[in-house]
Amino acid sequence: MKTRVWIIILSLAVLVCAVWWMLVSTPSYPSKIVGIYQNGSLVEKIDLNSVTGEREITLSGKFGKNTIFISHGHIEMKSAECPDKICVKHGALESSGTPIVCLPNKVVIKFESSSDGADAKTGAV
Amino acid sequence: MDTIMTLTAYGSKSESAVKTAESEINRLDTLLSVQNKNSEIYRLNRDKTISASADTLNLLNRAIKIYNMTDGAFDITTEPLTRIWGFYSGLKNRVPSENEIADALKTVGAEHIRIDKNNITLDRNTSLDLGGIAKGYASARAAQILEENGIYSALISLGGNIRAVGSKPDGSDWSVAITDPDDNTQQVGTLSVSNTAVVTSGGYQRYFEENGQVYHHILNTDTGYPAKSGLKSVTVVSEDDTLADALSTGLFVMGLERASSLYSENNTLFGAVFVTDKNEVYITDNLKNSFSSQRSFEVIKI
Repeated sequence: MKTRVWIIILSLAVLVCAVWWMLVSTPSYPSKIVGIYQNGSLVEKIDLNSVTGEREITLSGKFGKNTIFISHGHIEMKSAECPDKICVKHGALESSGTPIVCLPNKVVIKFESSSDGADAKTGAV
Repeated sequence: MDTIMTLTAYGSKSESAVKTAESEINRLDTLLSVQNKNSEIYRLNRDKTISASADTLNLLNRAIKIYNMTDGAFDITTEPLTRIWGFYSGLKNRVPSENEIADALKTVGAEHIRIDKNNITLDRNTSLDLGGIAKGYASARAAQILEENGIYSALISLGGNIRAVGSKPDGSDWSVAITDPDDNTQQVGTLSVSNTAVVTSGGYQRYFEENGQVYHHILNTDTGYPAKSGLKSVTVVSEDDTLADALSTGLFVMGLERASSLYSENNTLFGAVFVTDKNEVYITDNLKNSFSSQRSFEVIKI
């Protein structure tokens, strides 16, 4: 009898902790919804957390092709035929404040909602 | 303008107003760009003399005023210096020789620019780069156009230059986060603002390494080398976009001490947030009600 009470108390405690942990930790997960834009229009919206396997998207612009590589939780500009290749050097998309941008071909890859709650972010360019 | 812009406007005529503001920004870019072959600045740098449009004259006069205000820390004659360091697209970054730097420094300084009515003349080897001030001027014009079109709530982001038009549609302040120079997924803190410009300068985004040394793009026209003023970033808050843009660079070059004394003479014109090389955060005391941060910070009093 005594053992059963303890088991119930312990189970409840574990449950409370689990619920508390979910409530506390969920909002701090950064949003993984990413938008790919060209010439200011949305090409595709992707939830990186629901991506399984690997995928590539190729876009054509004035300065040739951009190839975007996508895997679970990850997106990057794999290659570009534009002159400066700043978008490729950027590496993986990490922050809502610094989208991956290919100015020559007018391609932008960015998180769809800011995880830090601010309306805008200022930083050096 | 080598940058992306985002305009978010609230109001019934917002779509056409945003389009008008966007085309004004593009017009100013074509006029003021150092690399666009159709720009007035490109022609001025090539021919050393032009009959300038009102916008170019206006901006040049502002730039020279801020040059004087900052004792030359903000300077628009850095084109030859920026060129030898390879900080233009299409060039390769490299450390120039002492001789190249000495030659470039001879061409630097506002005394090499002469303005007579609408004629601008440059000394033989002097060239201008308005990159440190043109975005501020453009965002001010864009804000003005939105307001003229009845938009009282908008947020303009021009490559890290933020302009808040009015406050949010619900009447509360806009929240603008300042990027952490060490990790651009993080923030130093946030500023609650309305009707104001917020602009950041720092050496952490455009730089190169050579022989283990880091060289960033904000050049000190006294030395000809990247500014080593003990700062990682400076964020300037001002109702005057053009001033905010130019001062963010100027204060970065000046360093915390000189910037603080400039602030004490001009505390009604601007406020600033500084991040030092040691990751200390300093804010001017006119921002103490609008700045919030998880980090500890010092307040600079007049």
